Amino acid sequence: MKKRRAFSTAITIGALVFFHAPLVVLVVNSFNTSRFGLTWDGFTLKWYEELFRNREVLAALWRTLKIALLATPVAAVLGTLAALALHRHRSRLQQAHMLMVQLPLVIPELLMGFSLLLFFVATGWQLGMTTIWIAHVTFCISFVTMVMLARLQDFDFTLLDAARDLGASRWQAARRVLLPLLWPGVLASALLSFTLSIDDFVITFFVSGPGTTTLPVQIYSMMKLSRSMPVINALSALLLLATIVLVMSSHILIRPRRS
Amino acid sequence: MKRKGTGASAAEWQLTLPSLGWLLVFFAAPSLIIFVISFRTADVTGGIGGEWTLTHWRAWSDPHLLALLWRTVWISLAATALCLLIAVPMAWFMAGCSAFWRNAILLLVIIPFWTNFLIRVFAWKAILHSEGALVGVLRSLHLLGAGDTLLYTPAAVLLVLVYAHLPFAILPLYAAAEKFDFTLMDAARDLGASATRAFFSVFIPGIRGGIGAACLMVFVPVLGSYLIPDLVGGQASDMIGNRIAQRAFADRNLPEASALASGLALAVMVAALWIWRRQSAEVKA
Amino acid sequence: MTTRRRFLLSSTSTLALASCEREDEGQPELPKELRVFIWADYIKPELVKRFETEHNCKVVIDTFDSNEAMYAKLKAGATGYDIAVPSSYMVKLMHQQMMLNDIVPGMAPNLRHISGDIANKVYDKLFKVSVPYAVGCTVIAYRKDKIKEPEASWMLFDRADLNPKTTLLNDMRETLGAALRTQGFSINSRDEVELGQARDLVIRWKKNTAKFDNEAYKAGIDSGEFSAVMGYSGDLFQVVAENPQVGILLPKEGVVISCDEFVILKEAPNPFLAHEFINFMLEPNVSAENMEHIGYRCPNKEAMNIVSPSFLSNPVIKIPDEVMNRSEIIEDLGDDLPKWTKAWDAAKAG
Repeated sequence: MKKRRAFSTAITIGALVFFHAPLVVLVVNSFNTSRFGLTWDGFTLKWYEELFRNREVLAALWRTLKIALLATPVAAVLGTLAALALHRHRSRLQQAHMLMVQLPLVIPELLMGFSLLLFFVATGWQLGMTTIWIAHVTFCISFVTMVMLARLQDFDFTLLDAARDLGASRWQAARRVLLPLLWPGVLASALLSFTLSIDDFVITFFVSGPGTTTLPVQIYSMMKLSRSMPVINALSALLLLATIVLVMSSHILIRPRRS
Repeated sequence: MKRKGTGASAAEWQLTLPSLGWLLVFFAAPSLIIFVISFRTADVTGGIGGEWTLTHWRAWSDPHLLALLWRTVWISLAATALCLLIAVPMAWFMAGCSAFWRNAILLLVIIPFWTNFLIRVFAWKAILHSEGALVGVLRSLHLLGAGDTLLYTPAAVLLVLVYAHLPFAILPLYAAAEKFDFTLMDAARDLGASATRAFFSVFIPGIRGGIGAACLMVFVPVLGSYLIPDLVGGQASDMIGNRIAQRAFADRNLPEASALASGLALAVMVAALWIWRRQSAEVKA
Repeated sequence: MTTRRRFLLSSTSTLALASCEREDEGQPELPKELRVFIWADYIKPELVKRFETEHNCKVVIDTFDSNEAMYAKLKAGATGYDIAVPSSYMVKLMHQQMMLNDIVPGMAPNLRHISGDIANKVYDKLFKVSVPYAVGCTVIAYRKDKIKEPEASWMLFDRADLNPKTTLLNDMRETLGAALRTQGFSINSRDEVELGQARDLVIRWKKNTAKFDNEAYKAGIDSGEFSAVMGYSGDLFQVVAENPQVGILLPKEGVVISCDEFVILKEAPNPFLAHEFINFMLEPNVSAENMEHIGYRCPNKEAMNIVSPSFLSNPVIKIPDEVMNRSEIIEDLGDDLPKWTKAWDAAKAG
């Protein structure tokens, strides 16, 4: 038993190092004078200065946030409704519904991006912010639904029935009882969609149009140009900081409070 | 309140329609469209022709493509196996930890997974760089020949794929291990099973559901990878996804790209449905 | 808990508000937007800024890494670009597909500065739908610290001692073109036997190659990741300007010469502003400043008199006659495209 514990401990520590080593490299290199970060050539803040002067990056960041802020609420509402339907009803309709929700979770991004692109071509839709927004809502719905379904498992629906028995209308019961109880889950899944939206490259790349370069698309082109490579390190360090804040807040929200 | 049976009430439709409608329009319809386009002729100017044809589906029997296909399958299988190899012991370990450590490890797993994906790949490119510190150390230890490199090889693709997909294996396995009843292990030990034996014949079957979910969440998306082989792969690391992107963006042949994409989509759905079936069969058993 | 929720909510709405405000501020100040679809690193950013100030507009620049990728994106419905910068052979295809607007000479008087001799290199000799922007060629860049006295030949890629530190362009017209040229065939060959031989040569080169790549080779040669790369002259010129360890070779077998041209797209939202932009880029002093930055020669008579002599004496900018005589320009393949795709697939898989 002890030996096995030692083995699994080693694997766990190894995996955590494996996860975090690249992130440490990024943060360290963001302060490295060396352009390619192959050796440590001294401390500098110049990449951060360059980053803040880079108006393309800032514009791309705004565009990315705008899309995420517009896609997240829609996905959160659609996904929450889907989870309620899937949780409360067991029918053939819900089986089909579940399939539709689960498939986008496993389908490779490339296929989703490509099929959406051809869909927009076939329907004559002009590629741009709207097509990116549609794509983001589409892949976020499934994630919201799955998070909400997990939350609903500990949810006591008799509360809702009790409220109805006490004379509340369906709308009142939903608003006064259901919503406050679901709220943390909705927020947590919205946070997840938000992160997925600002992170997406492949699907966005396929359905983007003129002047819709988002942050990941911008990073993708910067990765190929030696002049802007060190700036990516600085950008990464800041994004990492934002991620940690986001993860911490969602972790607090998502954790079931049974006390 | 739960309704069983086939008929759906108006209330059920009201709840279902928004999400189902959206997904039918923007997920199911586009998938059908690529299927339809794969049977249309291609025209050399990059348009979609007006005639019907089976030509593009024959691309699947092209020997050059079969080589790509074989590489795609072995990389996906290897990535899945490696993810399981790391994630199962991790899930075991986490399930045995106090609540504090469980949460801490979970956070440490989630943080990189929520960090921008391209940035993580960028970091790997710096780490595996042919003039970088890691290559220097490996060369001085004679683990790597003077002319050999790490980046732009199928091994680099596999490494980054595992890196990117490992959290998808850890989370469902951890969820399954958390629910696992560890007294069963003690019972097996009391009955004289060795620790290893108890692990494989009690713990592993006990988290079958999690293993199925982990396979699904790793194997299927990896089958369709295109960005990772593009960024850290070399001339011998292209996967089927790269061919689809090449047909769509470089060769002006949308119908053939569609035929390849539909074939891949079918494979993905078969794999997904097969794993789901097995899972639900186990739940019933 | 309430505070935490409130904090999240209020921070989210602040962000939303901030993004709205930005847009509101932006609108009255910048009434016009010009959208340009161009190769990466292909225009001097300061000049774009100057144009924005002079014309009180905003220029949005999106980039592509191959003619085919640009064409595919436009064909797929990325309408809304005013200007694109395809190579000459792609101009022909786009013209045939009626994707281009006419250039109105009266709206771009600086057209008169364009050198006459460029006309024999481009499809649209009278500049009716396209305006020549820059001329470049495909060359080899190498690391001086890794390769001593290399021969100026495409057969450099055949050297096993460079394995696996070379890259070839991920563009069949360029890489198969270089192989065709090496074997003495035309880069526009439509002969399957010739293409087959070129394919076999590429397969040999590929043994020493890390990857097929169109953009990352610049950073790769700069950081020493690769020892020799095949790439576009101006892009490599930019690397050489910053890194003395990198040198350029002009292969003796001849090179692929390309002329990239401004076109105004059919559905351009702002054709008037597009003309102004093209006219601005053709101003001799702007053109001179731009070419020294991007490392490609702009076919502009007046600008040629302004640029520094050292820039012009660079063989990559002014290709010596003996190489020039063996060099060719890419032409559209029309119905023979599938032959090339087949050879290229085999080369990449082989």
